[in-house]
Amino acid sequence: MSGVFTIYRRELAGLFLSPLAWVLLCVALAFNGFFFSLFVSLFQGDVGEAFAFFLGGSQTFWLMIVLLPPLLTMRMFSEESRTGVLEFLLTAPVTDAAVVLGKLAAATSVMGLLWSSVLIYGLSAQALGTAPDWPPIVSGVIGATLVSAIFCAVGLAVSACTNTPLLAAFLAVLANAALLALPLVEQLVPTPPGHWFKLALGHANIVTQFHASFSSGVLDSRQFVFFGVWTGFFVFLATRILEARRWW
Amino acid sequence: MITVQGLTRRFGARAAIEDLHFSLERGEVVGFLGPNGAGKSTTMRILAGYLPATSGSALVAGFDVLRQSLEVRRRIGYLPESVPLYAEHRVEEMMWFQARLHGMRRSEARTRIPAVLERAGIVDRSRAIIGGLSRGQRQRVGIAVALLPNPEVLILDEPTSGLDPLQRLEMRSLLAELGRDHTVLLSSHILPEIEAVCPRVIVLNRGKIAADGTKETLLGQLGGESRVRLEALVGPDVALALRLLKSIRGVGEIRDLGKQGIHHVFELPCREDLREDVGALAASRGWALRELTWQRPSLEQLFAKIALDMPHELPAAQPLASALAQAPTGSTAGEKLLVQLSPQPNAAPSVPAPPRTLYSLNPFDGGASRDLSKPKVVDPAPQPPREPGA
Repeated sequence: MSGVFTIYRRELAGLFLSPLAWVLLCVALAFNGFFFSLFVSLFQGDVGEAFAFFLGGSQTFWLMIVLLPPLLTMRMFSEESRTGVLEFLLTAPVTDAAVVLGKLAAATSVMGLLWSSVLIYGLSAQALGTAPDWPPIVSGVIGATLVSAIFCAVGLAVSACTNTPLLAAFLAVLANAALLALPLVEQLVPTPPGHWFKLALGHANIVTQFHASFSSGVLDSRQFVFFGVWTGFFVFLATRILEARRWW
Repeated sequence: MITVQGLTRRFGARAAIEDLHFSLERGEVVGFLGPNGAGKSTTMRILAGYLPATSGSALVAGFDVLRQSLEVRRRIGYLPESVPLYAEHRVEEMMWFQARLHGMRRSEARTRIPAVLERAGIVDRSRAIIGGLSRGQRQRVGIAVALLPNPEVLILDEPTSGLDPLQRLEMRSLLAELGRDHTVLLSSHILPEIEAVCPRVIVLNRGKIAADGTKETLLGQLGGESRVRLEALVGPDVALALRLLKSIRGVGEIRDLGKQGIHHVFELPCREDLREDVGALAASRGWALRELTWQRPSLEQLFAKIALDMPHELPAAQPLASALAQAPTGSTAGEKLLVQLSPQPNAAPSVPAPPRTLYSLNPFDGGASRDLSKPKVVDPAPQPPREPGA
């Protein structure tokens, strides 16, 4: 795993050396700023409510979660596979898992940077005389970053499947949407209350788990494990796909 | 250093390589030769740990490429044909990335990076963005990246493709230099590169080893026929000239190409350089020479022969001496495409050569009164023993 940090550094540099990360950050910050000011005016100046709505409570938050990670990760394997750089990486003395984890850490870091921009709004509100409730804001940023990690891992797994970045992004958006819509399966397959399938789907609900902890300013280890397991699953999937590519 | 046994790789029903057996000793420089699609890159990718083999085994520096892949990757420098480099990085950033991947200490990397860039002839472009480099410069950076961890084995896939003639010459001298410190497996379909750099050649065709050995042995064993071309003013009696030429020992069926201007053109097939004999005959007969050349078959002809006519032209063969121990066991003799390049260990002693007929211009050779226009018959000089493996 010694190569994880090396890959992480390279990927982070690669993201910021290309215009993609800058454009995404720029657009996302403009988007964030617009919606935050909209929410503040909607809640008639209640900054706390606006933050809660902004970090997980609104559809725009989940829309960004679904859209942005695929755009960040779409090139990470597909482009490298197309240009042949993947051959260099996969013949370097690092494991496939280290390659995936390094890339995941870089993409998640950019998403973390994006979400931490919310802190600027908090500081602005404080400077203007309305001190916000900091714990839900900080836990919300941490939670948003953790959720982003899951969707970045999905994006990586999809990117490892194809040599076309745009196709990777499109498929990853679909996969992310499907993941968020997983609890809706319950409505498609009617089950009696207390049925194991219903319980399993309830536990696998990412939105519910997010609101159970991070939205209320609580850092619960159960939610850390929950998001960690989901991310781990997709990291495992991406690693296996990379390994399977060698046989294609 | 590299041992390959029964290596096979299939893509679906198609076998890219099939039942390859070869080995490289430490410090050997071996050229992988073959037409496009012969399986060169596939073999190299397997050796580099990028592709798994369908069956068979490959050991690099004593480690199995499949089961001990990381150990193998630590010991090789691999340059794929596409020269994969991060276009957005500077050359030295790419070198630092490679140093970190190989776990090199900072102090070591700091001294080694400029040294390797210097060796690859790209040190003056160390701050350049890779995306802005020419193909030749990228190729040099690729070699520098492969060389950085000072690998025991260098696997270079088509390192000269896409280069202009000058860059190719420079690359050739660099490769020759690398061969002094590393075991090098180098692939190319550009024959002069292989001829210039690699003492030993492995020819692949349709996923199988068609030949393995030094250039000389390959040409000898594959029936490469040299010939002496003579253009001379032999006078009206061409039949006599033909008879005299035929009397030279070692000359095969002479081709009379007729007159070109006032000179007559002959081609004398022979296994060795008979220019001195022919020249002496011409001088003794007073033939005015316009051309007397020895034309040897090139690796290119051999390559064409293997690539185009293999099933018909090549003799059914035995495994190579170098691969005797790893000879495939389930294939029939007819399926084997290997060419016997080394003398059999238990081969019967050769029959003593008959006396040679020589035309000598030396008036003191055989007595000053000797008629120089008549051939002189001498016993062959004792043949020096052939080197094993030659």
